[in-house]
Amino acid sequence: MQSKRTLFLIEVAIFTAFALALDIIPFLSFKIWAQGGSISFAMIPIFIVAFRWGMKGGLLAGFLYGMLQIMIGVAWIIHPAQALLDYPIAFTALGLAGLFAPQAKRSLSFGKTQTFVTWVLAGVSVAIILRFISHYLAGVIFFSSTIDGLNIWMYSFVYNGSYLFPSLLINVLVVSFLFNKRPSLLKTAP
Amino acid sequence: MNQLIFGRYFPGDSFIHHLDPRFKLIFALIYVGLLFFLESTFYYLLFFVLTLLLMEQTGVKLAIYVKGVKPLIWLILFAVTLRIMTTSGGDVYLRYGPFAISSFGLTLGLQTFLRFVMIIFISTVLTLTTKPVEITDALYFLLKPLKYIKVPIEDLSLMLSIALRFIPNLLDETDKVMNAQKARGMVFGQGSLINQMKALVPLVLPLFQNSLKRAEDMADVLEVKGYQSNQKRSHYRELKWKKQDVFGSLFLLMLMVVVFVFQQ
Repeated sequence: MQSKRTLFLIEVAIFTAFALALDIIPFLSFKIWAQGGSISFAMIPIFIVAFRWGMKGGLLAGFLYGMLQIMIGVAWIIHPAQALLDYPIAFTALGLAGLFAPQAKRSLSFGKTQTFVTWVLAGVSVAIILRFISHYLAGVIFFSSTIDGLNIWMYSFVYNGSYLFPSLLINVLVVSFLFNKRPSLLKTAP
Repeated sequence: MNQLIFGRYFPGDSFIHHLDPRFKLIFALIYVGLLFFLESTFYYLLFFVLTLLLMEQTGVKLAIYVKGVKPLIWLILFAVTLRIMTTSGGDVYLRYGPFAISSFGLTLGLQTFLRFVMIIFISTVLTLTTKPVEITDALYFLLKPLKYIKVPIEDLSLMLSIALRFIPNLLDETDKVMNAQKARGMVFGQGSLINQMKALVPLVLPLFQNSLKRAEDMADVLEVKGYQSNQKRSHYRELKWKKQDVFGSLFLLMLMVVVFVFQQ
């Protein structure tokens, strides 16, 4: 009989590793920009943790994923504030998908697919929008550190939106599809 | 996929490779911090030469470092160009509407460029010469004080180690499942974006299921071996502060003196 806490720690760790693995396998991600903005499956493991274990698990997995990218050296760092916002903060924000985990779980157990998909949509959208804001601010900080007074906030908006918006659509599709096909992915040990 | 190296660690035998990871982490953080206190082009160039010397010391080819800057070069050049054109003052060489190329602008542009490149180089030095596991150990050590405000730092470092340990396994497993699906006639990486995404679902689904199973097994094993998440732990890899770390610290101290005393 295992304590739930140990299982929680390990599941979060393995799914974090998963996120990184999915991101570095070449053809599993679709690079939009050379600077690292890509549409990939990397966020899905984080969302799975977020819906399985709720917000706490999601935030933890996201945070670890952000740190892992810096540690391994796949992160792009050109400014301290940008590093924080682009990695630990942006990815931790993904965990907020777990905000609606209880509702999603309930509707799936009642077999209400439509409500379930709506909750997943809500969670994933909130998470990706927050990630977007974080990357957006990182971009703004990067530019305002070089240029004063010139308004190029738009650049960061377009750049980050260009890969995060398609990611949002794909992630909602895949996450709700996965859970629907394998409801067991959502159930944690009693 | 066994050959697929993840991360950028380069095995080597240089002085920097042998430094204590805690020291290297602190050094990189302070070094980047110092770059923001540089005031004249002379000091920027001085630090740039220092950075190049440090890179040389690692024994890793310069090309590897340059590769790290390449994807970001357009972004950097774009920002630097804007900076040059929007800064006025000094001798003005060229003026066009709100934009001008002036001596002030060129100096600031050069400084900004050097700073960006140095930040990338120095973080690359850290990740090229330090194994990710060592960085985990160093982070654990440096963040230890957070224990007193009830941050479960032991658990976090355990999780990072587990994640690092499992990435190669997961890559292997992905390869296996991919071959199994290919044998069934699946085609990866072709067709429209939507079709490519669809093809990936039969790939990730078994992988997720396997991971859950693996996590369960591992939790059982940890429990059997008596793991308790909030107990004091001993460590397999012990970090030792050696003579070269003392030298390194003195060097770092010297740099701080240069920036905060000599420069003023």
